[in-house]
Amino acid sequence: MRLSISHDTTYHYDDQVRTSIQYLRLTPHDSERQHVLNWQLNLPRPVRAQLDPFGNILHVLTMDEPHDDLIISASGEVDIDEHCEAEHDDQSAYPYLRFTRLTQPDEALREFAHQQCNSHRDRDALIRLMNALSERIVYTPGSTKVDSSAAEAFAGKSGVCQDHTHAFLACARSLGIPARYVSGYIYTEDAGHLASHAWAEAWLSDAWYSFDVTNGLSRPERHLKLAVGLDYLDACPVRGMRRGGGVEQMHAKVLVSPTLSQSQSQGQSQGQTQQ
Amino acid sequence: MLSRTASDLYWMSRYLERAENLARMLDVSYSLSLMPHDGRGDGLDELAMPLLITGTFDDYLELHGQLNAERMLHFFAFDANNPASIYSCLGAARTNAHAVRGRITADMWENINATWLEMRGIAQQGLGGYGISRFCEWVKERSHLFRGATFGTIMRSDSYRFIRLGTFIERADNTLRLLDARYELLGEEDDIDDRSARAYYQWSALLRALSSFEAFAEIYRGSPHARKVAELLLLRPDVPRSLRACLEELNLILSSLPGDNGRPAQRLAAEMDARLRYSSIEEVLNGEEGLHGWITEFIQLVGQLGSAIHISYLEAA
Amino acid sequence: MSRNFFDEMHDANGDCRAHYREFARWLAETPEEQLAQRRREADLLFHRAGITFTLYGDEQGTERLIPFDIIPRSIPASEWRIVEKGCIQRVQALNMFLADLYHEQRIIKAGIIPAEQVLANEGYQLAMRGLNLHRDIYAHIAGVDLVRDGDGSYYVLEDNLRTPSGVSYMLEDRKMMMRLFPELFSAQRIAPIGHYPNMLLDTLKCASPMDNPSVVVLTPGRFNSAYFEHAFLAREMGVELVEGADLFVRDEKVFMRTTAGARPVDVIYRRLDDAFLDPLAFNPDSMLGVPGLLSAYRSGNVVLANAIGTGVADDKSVYPFVTDMIRFYLSEEPILKNVPTWQCRKPAELSHVLANLPELVVKETQGSGGYGMLVGPAASSAEIEDFRQRIIARPEAYIAQPTLSLSTCPTFVEKGIAPRHIDLRPFVLTGRETQLVPGGLTRVALREGSLVVNSSQGGGTKDTWVVED
Repeated sequence: MRLSISHDTTYHYDDQVRTSIQYLRLTPHDSERQHVLNWQLNLPRPVRAQLDPFGNILHVLTMDEPHDDLIISASGEVDIDEHCEAEHDDQSAYPYLRFTRLTQPDEALREFAHQQCNSHRDRDALIRLMNALSERIVYTPGSTKVDSSAAEAFAGKSGVCQDHTHAFLACARSLGIPARYVSGYIYTEDAGHLASHAWAEAWLSDAWYSFDVTNGLSRPERHLKLAVGLDYLDACPVRGMRRGGGVEQMHAKVLVSPTLSQSQSQGQSQGQTQQ
Repeated sequence: MLSRTASDLYWMSRYLERAENLARMLDVSYSLSLMPHDGRGDGLDELAMPLLITGTFDDYLELHGQLNAERMLHFFAFDANNPASIYSCLGAARTNAHAVRGRITADMWENINATWLEMRGIAQQGLGGYGISRFCEWVKERSHLFRGATFGTIMRSDSYRFIRLGTFIERADNTLRLLDARYELLGEEDDIDDRSARAYYQWSALLRALSSFEAFAEIYRGSPHARKVAELLLLRPDVPRSLRACLEELNLILSSLPGDNGRPAQRLAAEMDARLRYSSIEEVLNGEEGLHGWITEFIQLVGQLGSAIHISYLEAA
Repeated sequence: MSRNFFDEMHDANGDCRAHYREFARWLAETPEEQLAQRRREADLLFHRAGITFTLYGDEQGTERLIPFDIIPRSIPASEWRIVEKGCIQRVQALNMFLADLYHEQRIIKAGIIPAEQVLANEGYQLAMRGLNLHRDIYAHIAGVDLVRDGDGSYYVLEDNLRTPSGVSYMLEDRKMMMRLFPELFSAQRIAPIGHYPNMLLDTLKCASPMDNPSVVVLTPGRFNSAYFEHAFLAREMGVELVEGADLFVRDEKVFMRTTAGARPVDVIYRRLDDAFLDPLAFNPDSMLGVPGLLSAYRSGNVVLANAIGTGVADDKSVYPFVTDMIRFYLSEEPILKNVPTWQCRKPAELSHVLANLPELVVKETQGSGGYGMLVGPAASSAEIEDFRQRIIARPEAYIAQPTLSLSTCPTFVEKGIAPRHIDLRPFVLTGRETQLVPGGLTRVALREGSLVVNSSQGGGTKDTWVVED
């Protein structure tokens, strides 16, 4: 499947921002299951790409001229291999066993993970866990905040994809299974769901397998991966800080649509993958 | 020098200068409040004046509801919850000094630290116990001592320059506000050449508060009135607390600072200095907005100069 | 429980050891009254100079003096040379371990350390994976904590590879002794240590590939317990003492904000933990760090000393493997001994620990500063029970060691001169080579019988002499 993405993020500030810095993880890279045909990141000034600690493509945008707004847009086309279910990795998965503030399991989450999986540590057990979590934490936009932890969402029984993913990571790691946060895009016919999305990957003996709690999907056929990390903070598309600016208004517009995968591919596949 | 260090030095001296000016303000109002008055004769209006000048009158009312001599005096001088009180200013000056302990001399540090410790002791005694005039004298004396220690011991480096910048910005602003308030009080309806007894005491008190009474007597040899007082406090280069003197210093210090990121502040100071240098008091008084309008404009200009210094040096990005 | 202690000054027969004789003679001649008076003088001088520390959790931020003892700890030079070699060997191996761990991981492949043990460790930083550092140095500054058992042999208690502190006390204690008792320094040859700040500056400059890099000391601020030391070292080295807000990152380069505009920064001697360095990469609530610092570091545009991710090598659960590291990387036998350590995460060792709590010292693997520690022989049965529950709840978080007897040194206390337990922290610098100034910081547990020397737990310090013998 070929996905065409257009992602515009606009920040408006009530006061002038004097300086700002953003860590941007808005550029996908090639992998076993995705091939980037073309990708553009439009920023107010040119920025060199680097790799972050998790191997994601990172742009660090520093602005030291006063500004009232900031527009970041990413767009491109990516081929997804629907049949590829797992990704191999030559780096150790052990670092993804550790907990973070957002993924620290409490007694309730440990108990829940144990009930769903018992002594099983395979894909079927994790699929059971995924479905049970999806049932337990009802998808409810606005019910949690960006810094809500897995345990808080679990106790509140509601959340969004970020909370689903954190809860899954907390459970998997408490079972001794390395697991990581994935941020990216998903294509759905249902316009009600945000196209910006988060899901989890777990390391099962030889490769990373996907678990999308929110959509109950264990096959990542409509998923375009942008970045991975221990939790949301590591993988989120934009993480920034500023001096001045007052109240901020953020608007994000994401369009993900399938395109035909035959004819156009040649013409667009060259150059301009990153700035 | 690190901008943060410069900022701590600058604010250390600004807060100390502010404490001194507040004491001067308090001193003049307190002595005038003891004079026979037209209306109620309780001197409360006069005691409220320092609160009005410093813009803390509303905070006072919110806290205490009504005018009360003792409470107003306490609020203005000793209240730790009032960030604009003399007590809070001395505390802030000491905190800034502590942060740059390694950049100022031992004499300076020990002086400002001792001031703060004594201040806490005096606050425990209360104003009634210590006496208001005595307290105001004490604040001035401590400020003089610190200035002397600074002048006599610190190297003439950028540290010294930022300390002086803070002093003169604060002083320029204060002289303008004090003059403006007195002028307002005497009222637009009063002739500017008012020579009534009331005006005489008011202007004399102001000159005393700014340690300029002797200078006035020497230069003008007559009883004070608005025109001459305004000339003395705004335009005389030889009166150390006049606006002109402050701007001359500011201009000099700014032009001697290294780097070219300070141009906006340097230009503004030079412009203000030139305006004062080539203005006559007639032009000031007979301008479209009158004295009050002129002062208001300069208060804004001093404020702008303060922000320009901040942006150029103290929080430079 | 009675135990044999090794006394630094007197041998088993109560005779004065050779390297202490000169001092003992002086002590016998000096009236106690005069000693007491000099000690008060020292307190006054320390106070006036502001040589203080702040206790964590003390709301008032009260500044306290670390008690200074006027009786020095003395080490014969021949003995010191062995300790010195041992420290160098150990720190070299630890640096090689870190370089290996963040690159080929030969030691894991060789089966010497289990992968999960280090890679799942919170001190292991993914940010360091594959990153090349100038000269392959991770721990530019290390503090090796040493104690001596009943027979006088030296043991390494822990390696401090993150932001070891205390070196300012080592230097100030020496200055104080020379000021109070100059006669002692003319009577015998005591190795000087005053060049430490120079050596440190050289070490920091060496950490950068640049010819004359600009160096700063990064402090969490003046409410930090070790702020005095940060200011002290910056002043002694003649470099700026900066807080996070004084620095900023532009296009992956670090600058400091000065009154003359932005000035580039090449080497940061940071006294700030990894988690606080960059709020955009680590703890987002930290106001102490510099947004973007990690991107500049990973681009190779700034050097951090110590490097990020050294905590994995001084973690108490990795400590038992250090002797094997020395054999693996250097093909040498360890000069300094490790204390035998039981790892509670292993069921067999856990049951041994739980059965012998009253005799053991139990430590948190992530803890430092003497917090979260049980000294079995000195603990009440309630304290032991409390620890038992904590260990059972999270066995992987604890290790246990036999209670070492810790050597004693005569110390001037309320009742006069009496033996108190001490340790030793030499500061090991790695630049062009690995080196240290003779001696280190001697900490003394001032409470009678106490084995906890940390300043936060009522410990004091002594001047440490290396005496030509």
